[in-house]
Amino acid sequence: MITTAELEHLAKLARIDLSEDDKKSLIKEFDSILGYIDQLKKADVKMDAEGRVGAVKNVTRPDEAVKTSAEDRERLLDEAPDREEDFIAVKKIIAQD
Amino acid sequence: MKIDITNLTIKKAHESLKKGDFTAVELTRSYLNEIATKNKDVHAYLEVFDDALEAAKKADEIIADFNKKIGSADSEKDFPMLCGIPFAIKDNILIKGKTASSASKILEHYKATYYATAALRLAKEGAIFLGRTNMDEFAMGGSTENSAYGPTKNPHDLSRVPGGTSGGSAAAVASNMALVALGSDTGGSIRQPSSFCGVVGLKPTYGAVSRYGLMAAVSSFDQIGPIANTVEDAEIVFNVIYGKDAKDGTTIIEGVSPTYPLKRIGKKKPVIGIPRAFMSLGGIDPAVKSEFEAAEKKFKDMGYEIKDIELPANKYALSVYYILNFAEVSSNMARYDGVKYGLHVDGKDGIDDYFKTRRAGLGREVIRRILLGTYVLSSGYYDAYYNRANAVRRMITDDFKKAFEGVDIIATPTTPGPAFKIGEKSNDPMAMYLEDIFTVTANLTGLPAMSIPMQISKEAKKEKATQLPLGLQLTARHGDERTLFETGKDFLGELE
Repeated sequence: MITTAELEHLAKLARIDLSEDDKKSLIKEFDSILGYIDQLKKADVKMDAEGRVGAVKNVTRPDEAVKTSAEDRERLLDEAPDREEDFIAVKKIIAQD
Repeated sequence: MKIDITNLTIKKAHESLKKGDFTAVELTRSYLNEIATKNKDVHAYLEVFDDALEAAKKADEIIADFNKKIGSADSEKDFPMLCGIPFAIKDNILIKGKTASSASKILEHYKATYYATAALRLAKEGAIFLGRTNMDEFAMGGSTENSAYGPTKNPHDLSRVPGGTSGGSAAAVASNMALVALGSDTGGSIRQPSSFCGVVGLKPTYGAVSRYGLMAAVSSFDQIGPIANTVEDAEIVFNVIYGKDAKDGTTIIEGVSPTYPLKRIGKKKPVIGIPRAFMSLGGIDPAVKSEFEAAEKKFKDMGYEIKDIELPANKYALSVYYILNFAEVSSNMARYDGVKYGLHVDGKDGIDDYFKTRRAGLGREVIRRILLGTYVLSSGYYDAYYNRANAVRRMITDDFKKAFEGVDIIATPTTPGPAFKIGEKSNDPMAMYLEDIFTVTANLTGLPAMSIPMQISKEAKKEKATQLPLGLQLTARHGDERTLFETGKDFLGELE
């Protein structure tokens, strides 16, 4: 039902490396899972706007800064795999040509 | 003194702590000893906290302080019910300063920087956290076999799974390695392991308990709830952890028990509805069928009115559940990118870091669901899957609303069969998904549901087709946990 190219595209969107073995088993598993959930297509249901959104509504809070203690800030930063002073460090995303 | 932890409840422990039969330190030590003996076989805990005894000392100080004030002007009625009570906490619920890994490699060394609201409410009562319990990675699975740290075993039969995803919490309570535990339930993750391990598990009404500090799996389904030896214990814990929390916008204030105004159909006892057509869907084990019939008879003998009900859209429940599960999982898992916290694996550039990190840190089931979610949310499939699933979700919710116009409780088995063998279903994701057939509806509808041990007596159990525990699932109206507790206690003889 799903092709290797389609699966590779999904993996690219989801940012996950897949081995050739992964792909083989995933294609098989997709078939069995999608084969099951496809029975939903038989459901006689009205596709109105309300149904699409689901039973959720927005909850907002006042737009105020939340105070964090220096200690908690340090703890948060310490969880980062790569840190430079008070910044989380990542690789350059603009190449120099 | 030697504490008999095999027969302990929260109330009994509380009374003993009050009378001075034993201290919180002694009680905690009893559980730690049990863990030291059993955990190597059962593997319910990923980590036993080294400061549990320290917390117990603090609890003893609160109790001593209470005792000192008795008779004086500022004496209090009682110290908190959960003070000194030893808990097991699922590994996806944050306790500040402790590792919380969701049983994933990607969070192996992650230390929580804040408290989950539910855990904080327990801590404020003086509860003791014994350790963090094993689970299916990021709460995806049904057997605890998807843990990156190895499976938990069912204490009733070590060759079998304890269920999942809160398998460690259920196994810990069932084997007296904790008096009570917190789990989380996305599609049955509290109720199914409770059924497999022979304990009580409650999935509260959606919005009853704050999920702040619970690692998100499926945000429109997830709830934290108690796993306990008795319905009364589950109720006591629920009464501490439920309630509005400014840090979780989905928490509700109105219409949640125990303040819920009862609108019962049954005059004396709740009316019980049984969805027979729904229950005949898919292979239900003969042992489950006969135990359920016996439970039904017991309810009748106790004076309950039983009605047959129809839940026609339920035949689509599992499809709807998994489509929405995959979709929400794929977006919730996007946060694990190796930048802000957790595992980081270096690639050739910034983008490649993501690919390498996520492949190395996430397990097979998590990757499978992320990809399936990406698929059902892709343009071209979005209407056929995601939108359609939401529309059918509403149909299912409407069916339940209609059913509750005539009944107060809906009863089904919790699972189609007893605990299965380790490895039996781990290579067939679809077979594993079918385990959730009876439990997912409570998450789709947001209704409260509880699994209680279904076997009527130990003697009866001996003659039955299976020696393994089986669960009876009770579902109530939105916010009506109270009817669940009352009915559950009545069925199990806790009111006598």
